[in-house]
Amino acid sequence: MTVLLFLILLVWLIGACLRIVRQARFYQIEEYMSGRYLRWLLAQRYRWLPGRPFLAWFVGAGLAFFLAEAPGSPLPAIIALLAAGIGAYPERDKEVKKALKFTDRVKRMLAAAFVLAVALALAGAALVLSLPTDSPEIPAVIAASMGFALVIAAPLLLVTGNLLMTPVEALLRARFEAQARAVLAEANLTVIGITGSYGKTSTKTYLAHILNSRYKAYPTPKSYNTLMGVCIAINNDIANNRSLEYFIAEMGAYIPGEIERICDLTHPSISIVVEVGPQHLERFGTLENIASAKYEIIRALPPDGVGVFNWDNPYVRAMYERGYPQTRIAVSRAVDPAQVPADGPRLIASNVEESLNGLSFTVTDTHSNQREDFQTPLLGQHNVTNVLLATAVALHEGVPLKDVARAVRSLQPAESRLVRNVLPEGITVINDAYSANPVGVVHALRVLGMHQTGKRLLITPGMVELGPLMESENRKLGEIAAQYATDVILVGARQTDAVKQGLLNVGFPAERLHITATLAEAVEWYQTNLQTGDTVLFLNDLPDVYAS
Amino acid sequence: MSAKRKLTVAVLFGGRSVEHDVSVVTGNQVLRAFDPERYEVVPVYIDRDGRWFTGAPLLDLKNYRNEVISLKGVEEAILSPATHHHGLIIDPTAGRFAKSSVKRLDVVFPALHGSHGEDGTVQGLCELADIAYVGCGVLASAATNDKIMTKTILKQHGIPVVDDVHLTRAEWEANPDGVIARIHAALPYPLFIKPATLGSSIGVGRADDEALLRASLDVAAHFDRSVLVERAITDGVEINCALLGNAQQIRASVLELPVSWDKFLTYEEKYLRGGEGMKSADRIIPAPIDAALTARIREMAVRAFQAVGGRGTARVDFLVKPEAGEVYLNEINTMPGSLAFYLWQHEGLSAGDVVQQLVELAREAQAEKRRSTYNYQTNLIEVAAMRGLKGVKGRKAPRPAQS
Repeated sequence: MTVLLFLILLVWLIGACLRIVRQARFYQIEEYMSGRYLRWLLAQRYRWLPGRPFLAWFVGAGLAFFLAEAPGSPLPAIIALLAAGIGAYPERDKEVKKALKFTDRVKRMLAAAFVLAVALALAGAALVLSLPTDSPEIPAVIAASMGFALVIAAPLLLVTGNLLMTPVEALLRARFEAQARAVLAEANLTVIGITGSYGKTSTKTYLAHILNSRYKAYPTPKSYNTLMGVCIAINNDIANNRSLEYFIAEMGAYIPGEIERICDLTHPSISIVVEVGPQHLERFGTLENIASAKYEIIRALPPDGVGVFNWDNPYVRAMYERGYPQTRIAVSRAVDPAQVPADGPRLIASNVEESLNGLSFTVTDTHSNQREDFQTPLLGQHNVTNVLLATAVALHEGVPLKDVARAVRSLQPAESRLVRNVLPEGITVINDAYSANPVGVVHALRVLGMHQTGKRLLITPGMVELGPLMESENRKLGEIAAQYATDVILVGARQTDAVKQGLLNVGFPAERLHITATLAEAVEWYQTNLQTGDTVLFLNDLPDVYAS
Repeated sequence: MSAKRKLTVAVLFGGRSVEHDVSVVTGNQVLRAFDPERYEVVPVYIDRDGRWFTGAPLLDLKNYRNEVISLKGVEEAILSPATHHHGLIIDPTAGRFAKSSVKRLDVVFPALHGSHGEDGTVQGLCELADIAYVGCGVLASAATNDKIMTKTILKQHGIPVVDDVHLTRAEWEANPDGVIARIHAALPYPLFIKPATLGSSIGVGRADDEALLRASLDVAAHFDRSVLVERAITDGVEINCALLGNAQQIRASVLELPVSWDKFLTYEEKYLRGGEGMKSADRIIPAPIDAALTARIREMAVRAFQAVGGRGTARVDFLVKPEAGEVYLNEINTMPGSLAFYLWQHEGLSAGDVVQQLVELAREAQAEKRRSTYNYQTNLIEVAAMRGLKGVKGRKAPRPAQS
């Protein structure tokens, strides 16, 4: 009898632990921000109160209670155990687009959450054992209820586990940061910082490519752009390679002060601001707040440092005009090189032409009056700005404009940023799956529009993280998409509603608009419906947190 | 905090060469020439046996009287050929209680003369390490270090050199009479006999008759496996010209005329006159020859440097008969003593300017190399792994150890 009660708790405990692991994925996607995670959790009933465990508990406990026969009967406990098994058995995972990364931090957090769960289960066991045994259904029902509560509380256990590990994590982080500081002091590199609401990773990739035609530059890998991400890059890669001369650090701002902290570690002597836009607007509230967070990268420069700015973005131009540091370079693809305003941009791209072979444009250095024709296989006109920003730094570091032009010819797009491939069956796939933004999507759609041989299919789940602008920007996305796409698949009905409105507003034929629940369905649709000569654009592929 | 980072330059000097002592003097001049505000300079001393050391006491010439390793602050160090070290490994054989460390370098400055330093060997090490280095590359260093090879290249480019005969030690030992006959048939006395690859004047002999010729050949063959026999230019003067630059942009210095050439430059005369090495050696600058001849020599120096594929710096030595207007290129020193600072002074360049330019030229050359690709991916290994290696049948493939 006692054994059975223990087993009931044990089965539910296992279920709770499995749920903790499952939930850790979403917690990780929310960057371990408990408030955001819990808000996400509570937004949908099925998220915080999963159906099967609830039914199993409810039905199991009810049956156990009403089928009680005689004192000492094992029947209620057996029923409760069966119910526990049904309730605790994990649900089948839906499509996993962003799996849980088992980092050391996750392991520590999970361990803490498991310890909590076990402690609670033991406390529950002690309580159940202390109950009088004359009516067998009572302990069984209580054991089942406590086990069920444990499963429901799994997200809280996870969050509590994380909170408990906070001091440990802080200590480990401080040590990791100190190590990175020591590595950088020894490495004696020129550090180049890059920030912006978007375009960071592309600019970084291009700059590394251009500098590497002459020097040895190391960019932070992938999209590592947090303090810890930069530390990982330093401790793993720079520590083991002393041949480097440049470290190109991408810096993201998720909270004010974050860039300042990365700069305090890396001490950039050259800083690039690419764009200020509504990305992460919901976290910052206003564009001004975003701009002031980005400006931290300029404020951190030494007086003889170099600031590089995108003149075409009004917020970034305002930074240029603030006058710090002494050496500032602005670039533009909008200004006429024949009529440059006083103290205007130094590097200007003109005659921009875009085809499926890439971009070509003329770069004018208004200081030296040099002029060079650039040709790159990159797609998307926003890349002209990214290339110009990288060119400005390379020029300042002594790479002649002619050599920059040569390096630019062999540029490759950064991962999942307008990467174009033609499949063996003759379907062109354009992958622009990385977190889309209002500027990038327009250019990506224009690239889709350049394909004139067949259907032009857009697959998108819309844009997120734009705060109050989310609805209007998504509607605009729909309106623009109608110009360039012949067919559209929207992934996830709820969040793409504004896109749908936009499409229909401008008269996009409803029969060419499809809505699917998952990306897998969208892929299936295109695989069965597209033919040789057709083109598909994957725009903004989101992690599951938004899809489920 | 300033945006400019200091460049770390390792100056190599000493070396397993008969010119070890001269190189120590040159090395110390170079070390002192760097602006400490802009460069971090690391002295690296290679002793006569070829052991490498680093440490602050090496900056003081007085410290070279005894074994330098006994000095406090001097440690063993080697230049690693591995690209990710990109510098010196300090205390490479550190045991249980000490730890070896890596000192990263931006540029290597080999202030080494003669063998194992000026001959492409150290340059090859720098190439492996992928570190920028001052002066000529492997091929130009190796070619100019060999007088026979240099003359072969110069003749190809139509640059006048003194008539010569060359032979190997094996030839000389197997058939001395044949060698003498060959020399007599080609060249008149007096003759100079030189080991092909040694710098300075060591092993060099002058012969006015056959007896002296045989003796000089014995001496020269003792120093090198190849020997060069040249017609002596009896009434000429030596004229030297220093060069600075890479590829198409090479600057030639004012010309010098080292004074007592008429007899012969013995080792002591060439380097040890006066207390401070080359500086106070007797020389006339600019060389007292007319402008047209000066221009011709300077142009020829640049052309010769380009012919051997040189870069960075060199001092090109000529034998000149000013009255007859005859000019012969004698040798190209890719790491001249004192880096010919005294000539550049006349051009308005301080020693600090010269070393700074040399470092920039080295970085420029390194940048040029970066344009070549050394990494080419193929599927050859995969294919070989799948098919097995051909041509090694009959041998069993090694099996992984069973445990």
